[in-house]
This record gives sequence, structure tokens and C-alpha cells, in this order.
Amino acid sequence: MATLTESPAVTAAVTVGSPLSEAGRTAPPSVPERPPATGVGRRLAHAAGYLLRRPGLSLSLLFLLAVLIAAFFPDLLTADNPLRGDVTERLRGPSSEHWFGTDQLGRDLFARMVHGAARSLQATVLAVAVGLAIGATLGLVSGFVGGRTDAVIMRLVDLALAIPALLLALALITALGFGTVNVALAVGATSVAAFARVTRAEVLRVRTAVFVEAAVSCGARRDQVLVRHVLPHSWGPVLVLAALEFGTAILAVSALSFLGFGAAPPTPEWGSLVADGRDYLGTSWWLTTMPGLTVVATVLAANRVARAVEGERGTGR
Amino acid sequence: MSRAQSLRRFGRVRTLVIPVLAAALAASACGSDSAGGAGGSPKSGGTLTFAFGSDPTCLDPQQIQLSEGLTIGREVVDTLTDQDPKTLRIVPWLAERWDVSPDAKTFTFHLRSGVTFSDGAVFDATAVQKNFDAVVALGAKATLGYAYLSGYVRTVVVDAHTARVEFKAPNAQFLQATTTPSLGFVSPASLSRTPAQRCSQPPVGSGPFVVDSYAPNQRVTLSRRTDYAWASPLARHTGAAYLNKIVFTVVAESGVRTGSLKSGQVDGISQVSPQDALGLEKQDLVLLPTIHSGIVSNLHASPSPDRPVLRDPSVLPAVQRAINRKQLVDTLLNDDFKPATSILGGNTPGHTDLSSLISFDPAAAKKLLDTGGWQPGRDGIRTKDGRRLHLDVLWVPSGFGPEQSVLELIQQQLAEVGIELGVKRLSLAQFTPLYQSNAYDLFWARGTTRADPDILRTIFGSKKPAAPGSAQAGIDKLLNDQNATVDTTRRNQLVEQAQRRILEAGYGIPVFEQTSIMGFSPKVKGVTFTAHSWLQFFDTWIAS
Repeated sequence: MATLTESPAVTAAVTVGSPLSEAGRTAPPSVPERPPATGVGRRLAHAAGYLLRRPGLSLSLLFLLAVLIAAFFPDLLTADNPLRGDVTERLRGPSSEHWFGTDQLGRDLFARMVHGAARSLQATVLAVAVGLAIGATLGLVSGFVGGRTDAVIMRLVDLALAIPALLLALALITALGFGTVNVALAVGATSVAAFARVTRAEVLRVRTAVFVEAAVSCGARRDQVLVRHVLPHSWGPVLVLAALEFGTAILAVSALSFLGFGAAPPTPEWGSLVADGRDYLGTSWWLTTMPGLTVVATVLAANRVARAVEGERGTGR
Repeated sequence: MSRAQSLRRFGRVRTLVIPVLAAALAASACGSDSAGGAGGSPKSGGTLTFAFGSDPTCLDPQQIQLSEGLTIGREVVDTLTDQDPKTLRIVPWLAERWDVSPDAKTFTFHLRSGVTFSDGAVFDATAVQKNFDAVVALGAKATLGYAYLSGYVRTVVVDAHTARVEFKAPNAQFLQATTTPSLGFVSPASLSRTPAQRCSQPPVGSGPFVVDSYAPNQRVTLSRRTDYAWASPLARHTGAAYLNKIVFTVVAESGVRTGSLKSGQVDGISQVSPQDALGLEKQDLVLLPTIHSGIVSNLHASPSPDRPVLRDPSVLPAVQRAINRKQLVDTLLNDDFKPATSILGGNTPGHTDLSSLISFDPAAAKKLLDTGGWQPGRDGIRTKDGRRLHLDVLWVPSGFGPEQSVLELIQQQLAEVGIELGVKRLSLAQFTPLYQSNAYDLFWARGTTRADPDILRTIFGSKKPAAPGSAQAGIDKLLNDQNATVDTTRRNQLVEQAQRRILEAGYGIPVFEQTSIMGFSPKVKGVTFTAHSWLQFFDTWIAS
């Protein structure tokens, strides 16, 4: 793992998806024969080569790009109204006109999936952000301060880890009430413990590094040392965890929405679309299959990308 | 796979909540008489396995309000009278005959002799007295029975076989109430248990079956009484029941229930969803649709005077006219369902076809709103004095599949005339306080089963005296008058006026007649329904 790396190198390495373990070296070993041309061109060529050797990763990135477009510019992908349908067109199977078929009220399922992407993704991002912000802060304080504070926080984290994530989310949502934001907060809260643990482990390691001791002995204030020296050197693995957590969070958000805790009808969400189709499982398979496959594909793509960020040794997978 | 397990576990928790809700919204059950094929001669023996969609939650027939519990209760307790599901006439059962005083305040029952409870105790006038006293003592815990006994003064034991029930005010609906398991009789010994014990422990009744065991959320096992000899005159045979055992299981997911029936794991299921019905019929399984008597599925409007949009005189009448009931039934349900023609179901005594009052007429709805000063806004939703024409409907999912789609289609239909309907999905815990304080615009009521028009008083009568001269005060008077009238013709006239007033004021927006579809394996014969549309397995037998 990178320890004595300079920040710009880390950024570049992460951008092209190169393993973090290589980030510490000043010149990436994969392109030593290239002349030291313009930085941008070299990086682009590197990225293209990297992606070409990994078709799975490229597909995943393309798919995530489509999902992001759906989330932010849904009208680019579909012209159909997700909330109003033509009841005479109800329960039609997938066709060139309705890619995912139509539901029991004649609404285009593809349009509902596309418009549902925004809510589902917003909830996911919010969930990961909540987990990251609270978890990393707790871990940072716990690892850096140590002593009793550390003991108390870590025992609380033990407690949180002992409760199954979905169960904890359900308990929280019951207290908070239904709705997309509440679903996101509940899911986010369940990942706080994992973020705290990973951050603390990194901080413990960095805290004893020579340059931190140097900073302390030079008379730097504790909060300055924490923010300027410890934090930048410990957030690598935490960010990787956040990327990994993204896939899990999509699944958890969809699960809660499936159970009916999400947005009020008729607003579409991925999970609730699967749930709505359940009663038609025997007659209209596409109502559950299409949204289900989309969720699966998104989770797989997010995990693939997260693994690339984490750093993979093998190629051509 | 722990996630999948958690999901499943949670699914179960939810189904626990749903039945209770159905009770809070309305006591639900199913309706009419039918038979799952009567061919061949009945033979004794065998076990029937029947899957419910949710747990009965309580086994005490006097406390339970859910159709699951009442179905079980119907097998375990007998009642003073029975009601013919076809003619709706009240016939003798444990009471051989009865006298009603002209003011409907005193009811004298002459009891049958030789009836015993399954613990050996004798059924007599004292048992009647103890049971009715116990129902009144249960109070709110026995929601249905307590309402039936409203104004109860006492039961006088005239002699061992004569009991006289006295009320302080006229109570014309009481005789019909004595046909329901809610006023069924349990052994005096079991009355000494606490209400919670009575719910969780097998009830001791005088009915054809005895509860052997109850595992909450799993199954209830019943076995027959071989010495049973006092079947209702409406039954098709006398003596003991044909079935040796009945096992009621709980299968929450509708698709799984259908699959269990198809694969032969169970012999019958409740709540077949309309879209699965066709597939089951193709497989030669028997479907028994029953239309409920009582209040139809409707949007129930809050009686609160503090809701300006709802109380605007043009709004609820416009909603009444903007709903296309036929489209709802044709699109989301099947032929077994009927669009409502009044707030009372078509097979309820006193029902009047008032479809002209509630027919789909978007032009009339728009005109009402125009006249009321509601102007269409830029997004099509009307406004008045800067206030949006927005109503919220509270909905606690009940497990009846098409319900959400029904609300979404109503949402679309109302939007056509410029009314914005928000659907708020709530848990029972969230719903109850809002319901009790009338802090809502509308809520989705699945329907309340009762084969007597007095159900209107239960649902639409005000708990506190309404303001004199208000529409509610007029409705209250009609509802109280009908309960004080023994003469059927006169009573039905009052009931008709009450239905008319309720529809005109829009206190209840009827949608469709509540229907249950039961599915059975073809080998199950002789399934019957009570007038309250609870399944009855006394005449049921299994063909080889």
C-alpha cells in the first residue's frame, strides 16, 4: 500500500484506474519506453490501453455512464411519461416500442426505470456519503486520539457491527418514517461502522510514521497534523471502501424500496418497481425481471469499477 | 445470503401488521354462498389444508375482527341464530325461537337443549348471560361484539332455556348480530381467562370443530367433535362434520400461495389475486369468488371540519363524479369484481342502486369545481385563493395486490379534472393516531363486511354529537332512526335516505364491491359460505 506518496501522483493514478500500490513510484513502470511527451496525452494513451485490456471494466464503465445519464438527463433516453400510461396498452411484453414492456396501468417500464434511476442513485450516493463522512470522522478521531476515546468509540462500533445491516436499517426507517431520503440515511448509518474501522486502522499506521513524528516535534498543532498529514495519507483505502460500498448501498436502498419504505406511489424507484411486479410474476415476467436485471447489472458494474480502483494485479479479466 | 434471509424475515413481520390494520380500517371478510362442487356422495374422514394470506392473530371469536380469525371462529363456536346467505333471512340455531319487543329493546331467546361445549359444560341461559356480559366487559377489545351490544343493560335468565336480553335504547340490528361468531358462545370456564390468554389459547366452543394447537404465523390445527349433533338448519347434513382435521396455514406471498395450490401442497387458498385467477382456472382448480356484503371498498373522507380543501362544498362531490369505476374494474380487477353502485354492497339488506348519483361524469365534475371557484393552474391542477386542490389519501397496504394500482389509477383519473391526489403509504402505527384524531383527508378503506345495513352507523355515524343542522347531524339522525325501526320496509327507506346523503356529501367515495376469490383443489367438495361470506367447512368433504 502507498505510504510515502505525493498527492498529485495518487490523483493521476486513480484517474486511470491504476493500482494504488504502483502510485508511489514517480514514473509508472508500465510506460517506461514512451518518450516523456505531454502529460495529458501520455495519460490518455495509458488509460485507453488499460481499458482495452479489460473489456469487463470498459463495459461496466459504459453501463454506469448510461445509468448516470438516466439519473441526470432522463429525457435523453426516453420520451415516455413515467407516471401516466394508456390503460389500453397494459401488460404488453417487451417490444421495439416498449423496450421493457408496459405495466398494469399501461405505463412504459423503461421510462419508469430511467426516471427511477435518479432517485435510486441519489439515495445511494447520499447513503455512501453519510457512511463515509460519519465513519471516517469517528475512525480518524478514534485512531488519532487513542486511549479511552478510542476504546469507547470502538466498542460502539463493535455493537453496530453485531447488528445485521438490513435489520438496523429497518429499525432506523421505522423511527424516521418512509421516504427516499430516510432510506438513504438508514442505509448510510449501517455502513458507518465499517468506515470507522478502516479509517482507524489506517490512522494508527500513519500516526507512527516518521514524518508525522517530525511534524509533531516541529511544534505543529495536533489538529493541523491530523488534517494536513494524517488524513491525506490514510484516506486511500477508505475511498476504495466507499467505491465498494456503492454496490452494496444500491442493493440495500433497492431492498428497502422493495419493502415499500421508499417514495410514495406513483413515483418509480428501482426496488419498488420490482415489488410492484411481484403480483404479476405468473403472467408478466418482464415486470420483475427487467428492473431486477438492471439492479443486478448496476451492482456488478459498480463492483467491477471498485475492484479496479482497489487495484488488480491480473489483466484481461 | 443473510440479506435474503432478513428480507424474508421482514416480510413476515409485515404481514403481522397488515391484518391488524385491516381491523382498524374495517373488519374484513368475504361474502355469499357457494359450493366447491357437490358431485358424488359425501364421505367422512381426511384432512383439509387451507392457506391464509395472513395470521389470524387471535383465536377468540369474540375479540377477533379479521376474516381469518372469524373463519376459524365460525368452525369452533355456534350462535343463537343463523342467516340464510341467499334470502338473508334469520333462522333458528341454538335458539329455537325468539320474541322481539315492538320497541326493539328486549329480545327473548328460547334455547335448544342438549347442547354442550367441548369441555363438557352445558350450554344454557346462564352461558348466554355470561358470554354477553363478557363481551361488554371486553369493551374495545371486542370491537365488533361490543358495537353489536351497544346500549346493553343485562341478560335475564328467565329459566335454564330462556334468556332475555335487554337494551336501554332500540337496537334493531341485534338479531342479525346474533348470527355472527363475534357473539358466539364459549364455555363459561374459558371466560375466566384474561383477554390475552383467550387470544392465544384454543377457544372452547360448542361448534363442530375443536382447536388442537395454534403456532402463530404458522398454522392452526382443528379436529372434529364426533358427538356434535346441533348443526344449523342451513347445513346440508346433521351430525358430526365430515372432515377429520382442518389445518390452516399462513402463506403470506400471493404468488407462493397460488403455487402451493397448483402443486397440491395445500387443498385451498384464500385471496387469489385477480391476475392469477385465469391461470388457476386453466389448471382445473376451482375458484369461488364471493362478493362481500356491507360497506364496499371506498375512499373514506375525514369528518374533521378543519380541513379547508376537503370541506369546500364542491370538492368531494367532484371527486365522486371524477372516478371511472368501470375503468378501474376492467383494467385492474377481473369479472368477479363489480363497480360499486352505492356505499353499501349490492347483497346487503337495504342496499339501493344509486349509481346515477356516482356515475362517471368528468364534465359535471369540472363544472362543479368551476362553480366552486377552483381555476385550472398551469400544470392542470386547480387552485383557489392561492390554495392548491390537493388531497392526500392514507393507505396502509393490506396485502391485496391490485390496491396500489387502484390508487394510482384514481390518482390519474382525478388529475384529469384538476384534482391532485397524493398517496401516502403508512404503517399501521403511523396510521392509527392520524385516524383517531381525524387528521387526514381520505383513507383507503377495503370494506367492512356485515349483512345488515346498520354497518352504516358503525362507519359513518359520528362518535360525538354533530353540529345541529349540519349534513352529519342529518345522517346521524337517519342512522339512529333505522336502528330503532323493526319494520323492514320503513327501515329500508331510512337506510336508502342515509346512503343518498352519504354519497351526496361525499363522506364515502365508493369504488368497487369488495370481493374475495378462494381457490380449491377439485377434490374438495361441499365448501359453503355464511351470509357474512366466511368459509364454512362443516359440509366439506374430500373426494378420493
